[in-house]
Amino acid sequence: MHTGLLLLVAAAAMLTSIGAGWRAPRVWLAAVLTSLAAVLAAALAVLGGGAEWVWRGGIAVGGEGLYLRLDAISALFLALLGVVGAAASVYAGEYWAEAAHPRSARPGRVWWSVMLLNLGWVLLASNGLHFLIGWELFTLAAYFLITLDRQRREVRAAGWLYLGASHAAVLALFGFFTLLAVRTGSWDLGPMRDRPELAPLFWLALFGFGLKAGMFPLHIWLPSAHATAPSHVSAMLSGVTLKIGIYGLVRFSGWLPVPLAAGAVVAGLGVASAVLGVAFALGQHDLKRLLAYHSVENIGIILLGLGFALVAASQGNPGWGRLALAGGLLHVWNHGLFKALLFFGAGSVLHSTGTREMSRLGGLWRAMPWTAGSFALGAVAISGLPPLNGFVSEWLVYLGLIDATLARGAAAWAALGAAILLGVTGALALACFVKVCGVVFLGAPRSNEAAGAHECGPAMRGAMGVLAGMCVAIGLAPLVFWPAIARAAGAWNPAWAGTDPPAPLLQLGWVHVALVLLVAVAAGWLWRRVRARGLARAVTWDCGYAAPTARMQYTAGSFGGLISEWFAGILRPERHEQRPEGYFPAAAALTEHTPETVLERVVEPAGRAVLRVSALVRRLQHGRVQAYVMYILIGLVALAAWACLAGA
Amino acid sequence: MNSILDLILRLDCWLLLAPLLPGIINKVKAWVAGRRGPPVLQLYYDLARLWKKGVVMSTLASPAFVVLPAVTWVAVLGAAMLLPLGPLGAGLSFRGDALLLLYLLALGRFCTAWAAMETGSAFEGMGTVREVSYAVLAEAAMIAAVLSLSVQSGSISLAAMLAPAMGASAALLAAGLFIVLLAENCRVPFDDPATHLELTMIHEVMVLDHSGPPLAVILHGAAMKLLLFTVLLVQAVLPMAHLKPLLAAAVLAGGVLAVTVAVGLVESLLARFAFRRVPLLLTTAFLLCLFALLVAWKGGLP
Repeated sequence: MHTGLLLLVAAAAMLTSIGAGWRAPRVWLAAVLTSLAAVLAAALAVLGGGAEWVWRGGIAVGGEGLYLRLDAISALFLALLGVVGAAASVYAGEYWAEAAHPRSARPGRVWWSVMLLNLGWVLLASNGLHFLIGWELFTLAAYFLITLDRQRREVRAAGWLYLGASHAAVLALFGFFTLLAVRTGSWDLGPMRDRPELAPLFWLALFGFGLKAGMFPLHIWLPSAHATAPSHVSAMLSGVTLKIGIYGLVRFSGWLPVPLAAGAVVAGLGVASAVLGVAFALGQHDLKRLLAYHSVENIGIILLGLGFALVAASQGNPGWGRLALAGGLLHVWNHGLFKALLFFGAGSVLHSTGTREMSRLGGLWRAMPWTAGSFALGAVAISGLPPLNGFVSEWLVYLGLIDATLARGAAAWAALGAAILLGVTGALALACFVKVCGVVFLGAPRSNEAAGAHECGPAMRGAMGVLAGMCVAIGLAPLVFWPAIARAAGAWNPAWAGTDPPAPLLQLGWVHVALVLLVAVAAGWLWRRVRARGLARAVTWDCGYAAPTARMQYTAGSFGGLISEWFAGILRPERHEQRPEGYFPAAAALTEHTPETVLERVVEPAGRAVLRVSALVRRLQHGRVQAYVMYILIGLVALAAWACLAGA
Repeated sequence: MNSILDLILRLDCWLLLAPLLPGIINKVKAWVAGRRGPPVLQLYYDLARLWKKGVVMSTLASPAFVVLPAVTWVAVLGAAMLLPLGPLGAGLSFRGDALLLLYLLALGRFCTAWAAMETGSAFEGMGTVREVSYAVLAEAAMIAAVLSLSVQSGSISLAAMLAPAMGASAALLAAGLFIVLLAENCRVPFDDPATHLELTMIHEVMVLDHSGPPLAVILHGAAMKLLLFTVLLVQAVLPMAHLKPLLAAAVLAGGVLAVTVAVGLVESLLARFAFRRVPLLLTTAFLLCLFALLVAWKGGLP
């Protein structure tokens, strides 16, 4: 079908869903799914090799004619929106149902549709003003979704922080688009790579889009917003809206010229986000906050790929830049899929036990085998382990980095360091996800809530199943998905057009398939052997201790302790302990907490300093008319003196 | 036909020879201590005995507890298949297979750690934390080692990386990889495989609750991992590409034996380090590999 027609259907269906969201949940779901299916079809048509779709309409919005464009880059992100959005919408129907949330389920559906509509709009808009309008609308819709449960104080606080931070980003983007419009004489966007005077604008874009993407150290709003939002919203925020920030960076670093240092800065921020994101994650004991910090980490990996692509583009487009970019772009998809899957899993746990505190969970696999299984799959994927999708994209980035080293260009040294730190990030992520899975799903329940857990319903399981299936599919058949990534890379930099895979993805796919088959055979064989030889159950071996309790298990805090200590210089964990004293010690306690260090140690003190200075200035204004008259007099005298002196 | 023969030969090498290594190490330790020690083939007997036994499983554990050792075993075997084996070359070689090898080992680590957390035991939690935390440093060292081999040979596939003649950085690389070998296989001074005190163990404590056939699979997998690291170390340092096949096989076997004896000697002469000092030693390994990388870099400049 024609791309324009598909998008028209999508827009019409989404508008219908905004209307239907208040009264008719089923119509709403059908309309949302129809719309997203149409969007996905349009995106896949372009990614599958179809022509770029450009449309100029006669209708003017805000004085500007409509100008839409669907190229491979837009299509890449639009496809992610289609898949994750559809899964999250199905999930939301059960997770945030009318019965449990009578006040907020209706506005939740309406804002959800508004957000999806504007996300799609931002991805298609090729006019700076329209881009900004869509951007602001989806930011606001996301704010209302984050604060659906606004009876709770922490939700309101997180919402405010999100709103404030987002508007700092909007401010930067407003500056970016206005300056761009002033310098080019038009709000229209498009390739303008031959205008070097536009390059400095990149820094504004980096601030605005980087803040939205959750890049370190601009991630301050991210952990609390993702942790306190309803889980389907968290999944969408982390899986898709962060990627809109990445979309902005990719889009405008592709269309506009960039400063020479841009690549190095983006890659450096990427490495910092990756390593520190996962280090902070290890210190968390709130399940969703931990996942939120992993978003910072994965955004870092994406930025690392993009950064080296920018470096390559400034050095004559060697092939390693294409590998790094492709790795980053594939990671956009991958992170969207597995992070949404993990947030769905976390939501299912929260739904069932009512707590996000990992130290109150444990042993959930028994009651929630589906959730535990899909969460485990997501954990393997996000740790970048074969045979799943996370490994494929990290592997592409690695290959790009090592090729950059072997090419011995100016970027070789940076690539060496980045490759080693990427390895460290992978190992840290593995440690963190062993912690999460072990503490939440394995062992014995640590509280009554955990003991009374129950599995989630078919809609939530289905949503998780779809995303898990996508993770497996990209892992086992990376070559099938390669042309889409290659077309997006080609749209970013025409020098890298073409869909031939630069890396042996075919072999990698076969190794992954072989691995899965071998595991199935070996595991089946071992299972049969164990059944044949007899399987008895006994209490866990605890050094001969007769009365083991669930409280003796390793907790989230004890698990992260060792690594948190290594990063203590940056994490600044707070530790309060009361040591056992005397021959018959009675009381002992230890609490550890990793604060939002950047927010609490940097941003808040800076804010307080600004307030203090403002308070000094405010003393000038106190309501005494006599003093105001004096100000005016002093002002006049000063002006007169200046005029006299300047005149003389 | 030839490739099937090749596969069988390769599998034989990995599956059948691997359990020899722990036996040799124990024999060396016994000799140094002036004892007769267990027979070299002891692990084979142990494996056969375990394979026939029934399983006692923790009441807390899920069925995955039994199955995950098989996943770890397959991951290690898969990694071994990627590694060239002297005159046999690599079973499968492509650009970037070195990274796949590292990540397959990481997959094995994930599965072992998962199985350990299944039991809800404080000891196994402790061992898991140590394993995954030290692995962070070991991973950095391994990546640096892979990069140095890669820079030295100008390639990212193991077959080409391990082929060229010994570079100037060989001694540094050998020292670094040897320390990583000791850490990743939980030997002294990182861990004491002979200890029976749960508090002080890493790997052994993670598998405390396993028994019967799954334990046999774990022990065999651990032996294969040791052989894998030994073969990697020997091939990274000794130039074998230009030797005749038989001679190359002999050199490889001799090298593996030498490294194994060295592990035994280290275990006889050193005590286990305090856990506080472990990160320091691993950082040293990382620095050694990093210096090897720098030397390779300088050496490769035209």
